[in-house]
Amino acid sequence: MTSGRALLRFELAAVYRGRTAVLFAVGFALASVVVALAGLAAGGTLAVQGFARTSVSLLQLVLWVVPLLGLLTGAVAGAECHDLEFLTALPLPRARIVVARWAAWFIVLGACIMVGFGAAGIIIGALAGAADGARYLALIGVAGLLLAASLALGLWVGVAVRSRARAVGTAVVAWLVLAVGVDLVAIAVLAILPPGEAGWGLSLLLLADPVDSARALGLGLFRADAIAGPTGAALRRVLGGVGAWALAGGLALWTAIPLALAGRRFARSDL
Amino acid sequence: MIVLDRVAKRFGDRLALAELSLRVGPGEVVALVGPNGAGKSTALRILAGVIRPTAGDGAIGGWDVVRHASAARRQLGYLPQKLGIPPATVVGDLAALFGAVRGVKRADAVRQLAELGLGDRLGATLAQLSGGQRQRVMLALATLGPVTALLLDEPSISLDVDGAEEVRQAIRDARRRGVAVLFASHHLHDVAALADRIVVMVDGRAIAHGTLDELATAAGLPRGDAASEAPIDKIYRVLVTRGRAALRLVEEDAA
Repeated sequence: MTSGRALLRFELAAVYRGRTAVLFAVGFALASVVVALAGLAAGGTLAVQGFARTSVSLLQLVLWVVPLLGLLTGAVAGAECHDLEFLTALPLPRARIVVARWAAWFIVLGACIMVGFGAAGIIIGALAGAADGARYLALIGVAGLLLAASLALGLWVGVAVRSRARAVGTAVVAWLVLAVGVDLVAIAVLAILPPGEAGWGLSLLLLADPVDSARALGLGLFRADAIAGPTGAALRRVLGGVGAWALAGGLALWTAIPLALAGRRFARSDL
Repeated sequence: MIVLDRVAKRFGDRLALAELSLRVGPGEVVALVGPNGAGKSTALRILAGVIRPTAGDGAIGGWDVVRHASAARRQLGYLPQKLGIPPATVVGDLAALFGAVRGVKRADAVRQLAELGLGDRLGATLAQLSGGQRQRVMLALATLGPVTALLLDEPSISLDVDGAEEVRQAIRDARRRGVAVLFASHHLHDVAALADRIVVMVDGRAIAHGTLDELATAAGLPRGDAASEAPIDKIYRVLVTRGRAALRLVEEDAA
């Protein structure tokens, strides 16, 4: 077995044996089922309506829970990299340790999200029919992209901040900024700039926030981008058909860049 | 071969290690002794690649520990003073990882642990082991594979009599295999029994370096069978007290 695979197995075993993943899997599955049932019942009847309606409700759950969990988990995992003196003396590049941690958490938390979506999907499929099922699967992909980005961002925060308590605090602030703060800035941009110029500004702002990117991407899947807020509407107007790819690419960059920065920072730091 | 060439380390304004130069050849055992904060762990951690030197070069088996870190660590076994791994880590997982990284089959890594009487503890976490068992596991993993240099930071700390003897035996075995061993210890009788040479450190500086005989002479104590006529405790106290006084004089002159 190569050392990279061995490291990933080691990190996976460590994550798997912890209780965080199990708690999250159960919690997310319960929340997904509740949101799915509530979404179906909101129409006054559990009629055939496919996945579209409840998926929009589930997207809201993803947008609040996934980045918070990813940032917090990543931040703690990043801070704990500094407790690995015994491992760092092995002939393993330190950046690889960071990437293995990210990959292990991504695999385990990604599986938890799939369990949640799977439970909700079974209920939706049974009660509302299979229409838009493929788009529902794509929504899982959006959740995965957001999880990847927020984990990477959290790892970077944790590696840079070092102390676990400060890392958690910084992760919560980052979550507030990404989940709420950027929207407030978008509203301010709309108020200040003339409509012609605001479109590009808002599109860039959208790409600069992985949570907003995921929101626009998710709503676009169900042709609901009219309710994606000012940034989503601006993106549709400015980028048109390539908007979804730009958003997915942006989320991939939100994963790759913080992960590279975390690896570089850890490689250069004294433990 | 372990080499430190004028290696220094600063943490902010504090000088943790001042230009330490040292060579440990194959099959040689060298001990670093000194009070807390003397720079012993700092020197070992620089060699292990855990921290970077502010100045100077360190090398393991001819490979620079900063510029060719992976090549240097491939030949290195390192036992840190603290655990250096989450206590919730399972022994078997750690053995699998160390085996894969060092090119040793998992079965061989497991057998090495079994030979230490830890065969039934592979499913246990490090936190579930006694202090002695934990240290034995860490030492077995540190020496796993084609290691040519061994760095041990307080290897017998918190060990009972049997555990400490096992550590001494592991160091003797490593010496017999031609491994260069550099260890830091407060257990001066272990140092006297194991080390070919001793480096006495105070406040980040090496104030004396040599065999026990040479250190006894430097301390102005009777020569001959130094271990019995001039016990290492006494040599250590004299050298450390004198070193501290000398450093104080240097600081006063500088002020």
